[in-house]
Amino acid sequence: MSEKNLFCYLMVAPALFLTLILGVYPMIDTMIISFQDYDLLTLQSGGVNWVGIDNYSKILADERFVQTIWQTVWMTVLAILFSVSAGLLLAQIINVNFKGRGILRTVVLSPWFVPPVTASAIWIWLLNTNASPINQVLMDWGLIDSNIRFLADSTTWGPFNIPMLSVVAVRSWNGLPIIIIFLLAGLQSIPKSLYEAADMDGAGMFQKFYHVTLPMLRPVLMILLALLFLGGFGHFEMNYVMTGGGPRNLTNVLAVWTYQEGFQFLRYGKAAAASGIILLMTITISIFYLWVESKDNRK
Amino acid sequence: MNLTKKLALLAFSSTMAIASVAKAETTIDFWSQPYGDQIKWQESYEALIEKYEASQSDVKVNFEILPWSDSRTKWLAIAQGGAAPDCADMWWLHSFSAIGGDKYGPMPLGDLASKLPIDEFYPGAMQDASWRGDIYGVPWRGDVRLMLYRSDAMKEAGIEDAPDTWDEVVEVAKKLTVRDGNNVTRWGYGFGTSAKIVDWLMPLYWQAGGEFMTEDGKTATIDNDAMRTALKWMHDMVNVHKVADPDSFEKGYVARPLFVANRVAMFGSAEQAWGKRMEAENPEVNGLWSFARSAKGPEDRDSFSGAGYLGVLRGTEKAEACVNWLSFLAKDENMQALSEASGNVATKPAVMASEFWTDRPYKLVVAEALQDAHTSQHPAPAWSAVSTSEPGGILYDMIYSTVIEQKDMDEAIKKAQGLMQAELDRTE
Repeated sequence: MSEKNLFCYLMVAPALFLTLILGVYPMIDTMIISFQDYDLLTLQSGGVNWVGIDNYSKILADERFVQTIWQTVWMTVLAILFSVSAGLLLAQIINVNFKGRGILRTVVLSPWFVPPVTASAIWIWLLNTNASPINQVLMDWGLIDSNIRFLADSTTWGPFNIPMLSVVAVRSWNGLPIIIIFLLAGLQSIPKSLYEAADMDGAGMFQKFYHVTLPMLRPVLMILLALLFLGGFGHFEMNYVMTGGGPRNLTNVLAVWTYQEGFQFLRYGKAAAASGIILLMTITISIFYLWVESKDNRK
Repeated sequence: MNLTKKLALLAFSSTMAIASVAKAETTIDFWSQPYGDQIKWQESYEALIEKYEASQSDVKVNFEILPWSDSRTKWLAIAQGGAAPDCADMWWLHSFSAIGGDKYGPMPLGDLASKLPIDEFYPGAMQDASWRGDIYGVPWRGDVRLMLYRSDAMKEAGIEDAPDTWDEVVEVAKKLTVRDGNNVTRWGYGFGTSAKIVDWLMPLYWQAGGEFMTEDGKTATIDNDAMRTALKWMHDMVNVHKVADPDSFEKGYVARPLFVANRVAMFGSAEQAWGKRMEAENPEVNGLWSFARSAKGPEDRDSFSGAGYLGVLRGTEKAEACVNWLSFLAKDENMQALSEASGNVATKPAVMASEFWTDRPYKLVVAEALQDAHTSQHPAPAWSAVSTSEPGGILYDMIYSTVIEQKDMDEAIKKAQGLMQAELDRTE
């Protein structure tokens, strides 16, 4: 091993060590537990036995769990769709030089300063059926005649419902700043000459966006989407604090379901199996991302 | 002084010094959850520790606050062998004892319990510090719940006295509910101030004459007329009389701002600690609210009561030192200090007779309500899982499907009975 390589290994060793201890080991341990009847209430008296895929069979036979998987996917997709669309628009605006850009940047990035749990508590009040200022404004404008039950209405349209959309909106709002920063960095790395060439070819605003901006942002967007999907499938705080999965399990997501199974019902085995499902979903996204990346690199 | 004498003196002094250091090195780690203002809570404990250490030359108390946000997971970890203090302010004795078995978690005190003034506590409160015949410590706080109402709203509606029975609650709640077109600007009734809807059902079920399980904790007893009566009353308050907010059954519901803003006029089961909190944090409504004893149901007026206890953890080598510390805390004046600092009702009649608990009309009502207290702890380790107020929780789902989804009540109760029995069998 060359001296340079040794130096590199030494440099990454602390981070690698921490990742192994705090990331990989708990993950492997959780996967082991997912194949055991690990029940906190009987742990000391009954011990732990191997049960194969029993925990997986049980949770996948539970309608509520299957509903939760779909909701996790839908909420993640919607949150990404909303936040990336808004992020693309806002990043373009912020990228342009104009008076007051600094103020706009601060306003747009401000959700980043609010921790998700605090943001949830604030939004719970803003979305309270009887006290919501949003309802008040809509009533004053004559747009509604009875309060919208933002976090409690269980009327559904296919897989969608108002509480789900409300939570998605808050998740999008809270996640927007990091998306804007990613996209802004991407936008600033696009050579101006490409836009000048497009101008010379007579391209309009949308054509420039479609033929220049989007292709040039593709590498940033790919990594961003991969990260958002990975984070979205494991999202916990806002769903748990704002609705706890209700009403009628309509906003439940896998991480909340896992928490409830493990820490409320004290069945670690089943909770670990649910974590296994999340892991499977995130691995799928990672493999897909790596496949697309390698395909691009081969071109 | 010759050399031999000097050496002997030096050896003697060294031995004494080492002995005194060794004696002073007994330090017990003690944890408490915070109650009320965290800084004041810390100061209260520090004052008690200072007093205790002044009376003991050989024991030091290392005090730490365990935030409520971490409390549940921390105690779960401890019950499985995680790093634990020597003694602490604890809760959920039955579940954590079952989880820890005879290795981890709460420690039965055995003969050491004789050092504690057990007879001086309310017998009901001692239930929360005892399990399967063993004493685990001393109860120090109560959480009795009673009726809370806006006296200004009552006056405005021409009502003189707080409702005393379920029927009176319905009538008063109707008068207190204010509607504006399709919207309700003030709900006449809220079931409880706690965010846990299972906590709302408990007193109603007891008031209807029910008990959740047999005394040995082995048999679920919820498929009966008392449960039907309690659930029907809840259902009717929401769907027939329309005086209780259906949104209150959802997680994001926060009761206190709504009560302070006069958007809910009455709560059937309010935490008594709200009295102190509202006096301190919402002075704008001072004089506009009152407590009353819980309304009487078909059978009685039992009220939800929880309690925390001061106990010792398995694995400690300082059990005796801990019990001495707990014995000190169990003295009337120290229990008084903890009660005053936290705003929680005390677990000793002597403290409840003090000036602190008799200087306001609402406190007198709280003291009076103690006679209605019914412990919320049940003699089954799985009770914590059964009573969880989360979707998927057995009692939660039964309430939700009956009251909010308005599904068949008999079927919901029958299903809950079966599931609850399976949970109780889980630890047998």
